[in-house]
Amino acid sequence: MRGFTALRAVAANTFFESVRNRFFLLFAVFAFTAIYASVLAGVMAVDQEGRVLADFGLALIELTALGYTLFSASSVLLREAETKTIYLVFSRPVPRWAYLGGKLAGSLLTAALMLAVMGLMHLALLAMRGFGAPPCYALALIGSFLKLAVITSAALFISLFSTSAVSTLVISGILWTAGHFASEARFMAEKAEGASAFLLKAVIWLLPNFQLFNLRDAAGQACALPPAALAAAAAWTLGAFLGALWLLARKEF
Amino acid sequence: MSAHAVSFSGVEKTYKRPGFVGASYTTAVKDLSFELPAGEVTGLLGLNGAGKTTIMKLLTGLIFPTAGRVRVFGHPPTDGAAKARVGFLPELPYFPPQLRPAEALGYYGRLSGLSGPELDGAVRQAMDRTGLEPHAGKRVSEFSKGMMQRLGLAQALLHGPELLVLDEPVSGLDPLAIHDIRGLLAGLNAEGKAVFLSSHSISEVEKLCSRVLIMVKGRLAAVVKRQQWEASPGGLEKIFVEAVR
Repeated sequence: MRGFTALRAVAANTFFESVRNRFFLLFAVFAFTAIYASVLAGVMAVDQEGRVLADFGLALIELTALGYTLFSASSVLLREAETKTIYLVFSRPVPRWAYLGGKLAGSLLTAALMLAVMGLMHLALLAMRGFGAPPCYALALIGSFLKLAVITSAALFISLFSTSAVSTLVISGILWTAGHFASEARFMAEKAEGASAFLLKAVIWLLPNFQLFNLRDAAGQACALPPAALAAAAAWTLGAFLGALWLLARKEF
Repeated sequence: MSAHAVSFSGVEKTYKRPGFVGASYTTAVKDLSFELPAGEVTGLLGLNGAGKTTIMKLLTGLIFPTAGRVRVFGHPPTDGAAKARVGFLPELPYFPPQLRPAEALGYYGRLSGLSGPELDGAVRQAMDRTGLEPHAGKRVSEFSKGMMQRLGLAQALLHGPELLVLDEPVSGLDPLAIHDIRGLLAGLNAEGKAVFLSSHSISEVEKLCSRVLIMVKGRLAAVVKRQQWEASPGGLEKIFVEAVR
């Protein structure tokens, strides 16, 4: 029970620190500017303006939230260790799972808020241009959130064995990119033979398939998030979380 | 119920630093055995690198011993039952600059398991005891070093610990702040709380402590009681200098 109280406290603290942070404000300004730029791009798209505005905006929303959550997840543990804030936490009866869970929950809450605020800004811009909400819009944002949940959990895990926030960012960035080409990697694994096939198949098992959550690409198709995608997001997030917890439980400060 | 607040027996701590061509190892403390009686003020003296901070971290469960056994009120220091009875002030504590003291204390109070009116009361009392009440409206970014140290002490006191572990509590403070913190620690000890503090200031340790541990290169060189240094012509300073030379 005490563990869950601590988890809630860490999550709330992480969330409010993010919201208070000027960095968060900078991202909001950036997102607004970027979405406005997408309006200009939409003007150049002539008859496909609505589609371009929707796609470009959703992609920018996802990248902006990704930038913030990755930066936050990569640096949070290092920063708390450097400033010794973590001493004040772990010298108290706070289980390490509660601390890590709180950090993840707080980051995801921040990501959810960012997606929601930027989504509303995007819809407002679309309305100003005379377009309604694109089909599957809310589901597209939920898909982005699932991707962010997986990559944030992975970044927390990576930050516990990498030497700096920059190396965590780089490794997480590679994972993010590779995860968008999981189908291509699977195709290559099927074509490969011998030891390389075995190795590729092993890597594919560990590689999150972000295409599963890319509902913004699914315009015109069935507007639904398959249960398998939800299960996959939960499994990858939990797997990375448990890996991070295993490392954190052994970590000294 | 343990008569000792803390016991170290045969403790060794070796830090491993991974490198490109194999890891390097540094032994910070070795063959360390001592007890801290409950309700006493014990000081920890030593030169830089003598192992003072390592001892503080070992007994707050932030690092784990390589060998030997550490017990805090009879429990391993990583155990929640031990941590609930310990308040820790690290050297140069940090708090987010945008927070007000009550907000920072509220967070640490919740982590200690306090909530509702109990939390509000504990925050108020800790601020009152450490003299932060008149600065309640300020943000941490406006705090002087002395006020930060008071806030650090306040967070250590929140949950009513029986043992206070203080790493350099008066380091870099002005004489008035040192005087106030000394008075606060003496008052806490009078209430029966044990205090374990490390310091470079021999005169401070001399004024506050009833017993002093002197560390030299990771080993316990001497345990000196107040009667001993009061009876010694050069006082604690002479005993310390002789031990570390």
